[in-house]
Amino acid sequence: MNRTVLIVGAAIAIALLAVLFLGLGKDPTAIETPLIGKPAPQFALKAVNGSETIDIARLRGKPVVVNFWATWCVPCYQEHPVLVENAPAMPNVQFVGVVFNDSADKINAFLRQNGSSYPTVLDEQGKTAIEYGVGGVPETFFINPKGVIVAKYVGPMTPDILQANVAKAMVQ
Amino acid sequence: MIALLLAVALGVPQGQPLSGSALDQRTQEVASLLRCPVCQGMSVADSPSTVAQDMKHQVRDMLGKGYTQEQILAFFEQSYGQFVLEKPRNPWVWVLPIVILIIGAIVVVTTAKKLTRDPGPGTRDVVTDPYVEQVRKLVNHD
Repeated sequence: MNRTVLIVGAAIAIALLAVLFLGLGKDPTAIETPLIGKPAPQFALKAVNGSETIDIARLRGKPVVVNFWATWCVPCYQEHPVLVENAPAMPNVQFVGVVFNDSADKINAFLRQNGSSYPTVLDEQGKTAIEYGVGGVPETFFINPKGVIVAKYVGPMTPDILQANVAKAMVQ
Repeated sequence: MIALLLAVALGVPQGQPLSGSALDQRTQEVASLLRCPVCQGMSVADSPSTVAQDMKHQVRDMLGKGYTQEQILAFFEQSYGQFVLEKPRNPWVWVLPIVILIIGAIVVVTTAKKLTRDPGPGTRDVVTDPYVEQVRKLVNHD
């Protein structure tokens, strides 16, 4: 009986330690998205740096990178050059910047100062951000040519991270 | 456009459109069932964060269009997962900790009883020293 108790106790202790150990590497504020493998929520928003309306439904047939950001977001300043420099090098991929809780004036000032190489839209009242389950910025979604979300990245991206995720969107 | 997308995602509203003080009260009630995704332990109703305020506006919009509480919770769950619900749907979330606690209590009680009843080998009063045996015999007048 003592042995059984010992084994049961050890099993419970090992299970608890395993749960704690697995949790150590995780960011407690990061929310796992249920949208991976699901069709990307639709939106049609007017570009602030142009006159066109970006309708995500019309972008089917090529990979799409949807980057949520804001001018008040400090990590977005770090990430912006990565996107601006890499977007022209990937002509088969459509980049879209979605700015929420911001104003068109501030966005245009930001883009004039920091450069722009793809359309940026303003998500008023954060309705599109809510549909994508965005908690904070920057967050980036990678959508395959069939319109399905294949990856999400939270935080500022490096060129390597961007390219690795774009590759996922191109394969699937 | 947003209304069209909502209709596609959730179907037609299944309740009565609300307005005035009823809308205010219901917005607060439904928002209190949603967890703020950028806060620690705060509901959307209580959080001053911009994301939570946007979510609260969305709840208000949907209630105003006649969506039910269940439809609204399902809408947010689609985007944020079960995390966003203050009361998760999966009953195991509530049951499993209690089950583990009961198992733990049983193990502790069983072990404690066993230890009191049976001190285990090596701790028994077994005397092998002939000198001690002799002293015992003298004390007990054997």
